[in-house]
Amino acid sequence: MRKFLPVDQLARDERFAPVSMNERMADPRTALDVNEGAPKAGAGGNRKFRLTPERRDASDGARGLMHGVFVGEIQALEGAGRTCFDFETVGVAATDDDADTASAVPFALKLDMARQCWDEARHVEISVKLSDWMGTEIGQYAENTVLFAAACSSDPVLRLAGVNRALEGLAIDVFTTMKEFGELAGDPYLEFCEDWMLADEVTHVKMGSDWLRKVTENDPERRKKALEFQSIVDKLFSYGGTRSESDESPIGLARRFRSLAGFTDEEVDSISEVSLQALNERKSAVVQARADAADAFSHAATGG
Amino acid sequence: MAVTVTPETFSYVSFDAGLIHRIADEIAGAIGLGDTPITIEVDETTPLARTVISIDDGVHDGIYIRADSGAFEDTRKPRQQSETATATSLGRVLLRASDRLTGGFGEAPPDDQLSLPQISAWETYSIGRLERLGITVNRQRWLYNFRNRHGFTDAADGAFEQLWQSDALTWGSLCAISDSARAVLESS
Repeated sequence: MRKFLPVDQLARDERFAPVSMNERMADPRTALDVNEGAPKAGAGGNRKFRLTPERRDASDGARGLMHGVFVGEIQALEGAGRTCFDFETVGVAATDDDADTASAVPFALKLDMARQCWDEARHVEISVKLSDWMGTEIGQYAENTVLFAAACSSDPVLRLAGVNRALEGLAIDVFTTMKEFGELAGDPYLEFCEDWMLADEVTHVKMGSDWLRKVTENDPERRKKALEFQSIVDKLFSYGGTRSESDESPIGLARRFRSLAGFTDEEVDSISEVSLQALNERKSAVVQARADAADAFSHAATGG
Repeated sequence: MAVTVTPETFSYVSFDAGLIHRIADEIAGAIGLGDTPITIEVDETTPLARTVISIDDGVHDGIYIRADSGAFEDTRKPRQQSETATATSLGRVLLRASDRLTGGFGEAPPDDQLSLPQISAWETYSIGRLERLGITVNRQRWLYNFRNRHGFTDAADGAFEQLWQSDALTWGSLCAISDSARAVLESS
């Protein structure tokens, strides 16, 4: 079996419609009110898109997000499985003196990744049933494959940072938003299932945080590089303002559960800042794209 | 009958104004709006899926529909048009306009003053009729939408079924069905 599988080789049947991050970024449309200025944390004057039952399109918004959870679980399963398979095993503990963890990982880390696969497979099954309950078909929405792309690094430590801390951290935010939605809407299945999956995601983030610390204990440069990679992935996952503490974002930042998962307050503040930056950059890009389009139209119309 | 679609060509999305025109024309003919002028304006700068409708608003003759591009979009292929989504989005607002024009819905508040349960009840009534017109719909999607506004109860499911199967409701009877489900929710 091939090691280090590229994202375009993921096995999918004809029901799935993959879309890359580049394609998503090429979409010039936005729901954001670009004239409202910079986003603010919490309720501000900007248009509100936080997923709550008060939104007129609440049930469709929840269905779309649930499908995103479903494909995210598949990719998380594939990512954790790949980390078990792509690297050799070295020693039992990360701190073994002779452990070279550049291209090999401790057996106990693989065991954690195997446990994560088990959890993610269960989450996929739960997501399929929830989607059915909500009236969504498998593959009804495009599948953004950026999640698996974050799991393709050749350095296992970068995978821990990108997948377990950034991706699974995003999962904490998504499940918290969905659980609250289910609670407010009175949907007993959604609330219950999201709560249980959330508990698993907190564990996955904690595993990533613990292993990152252990494996890079004597290598501060590598740890720094991993945390930088995590920050890049966090920003990608916040693209267009999908997740931030502004009410303009459908998904909020779950500070309490992130804290339980081992994120420090400073780390959560930093993710909050990066997310707001992503939202703001998207607004600026849309303003620029519209100005460019108006210029092009004006040139064409005047023959200039 | 005149159906007008703007813009005629799209730059943000790959939509076909001719397809929108044809679908509107077919549905309008099937529900008795064949002689009513219809103006459809698509806002292609937003991926949201809202549709707003007005009737004889003083600016447009007949029915005016303003739709966000997401209302006609294929959720599997961003920026591409879906014939089913176009038919469902246009069908439900055209049926609402038809209800207002053909009587029995005179007391219904303007669209922007409808409550969320009223909107979902009216949508259920409309989508059920669209299904009988042969348009592909996902019943479970609309049941979930209705449950979100009327509760996850047997009473809500019964009310949904009644609305879905109906063909000749009035505003009063539609509200009575919706209210009965809400009453069970509020008493629980």
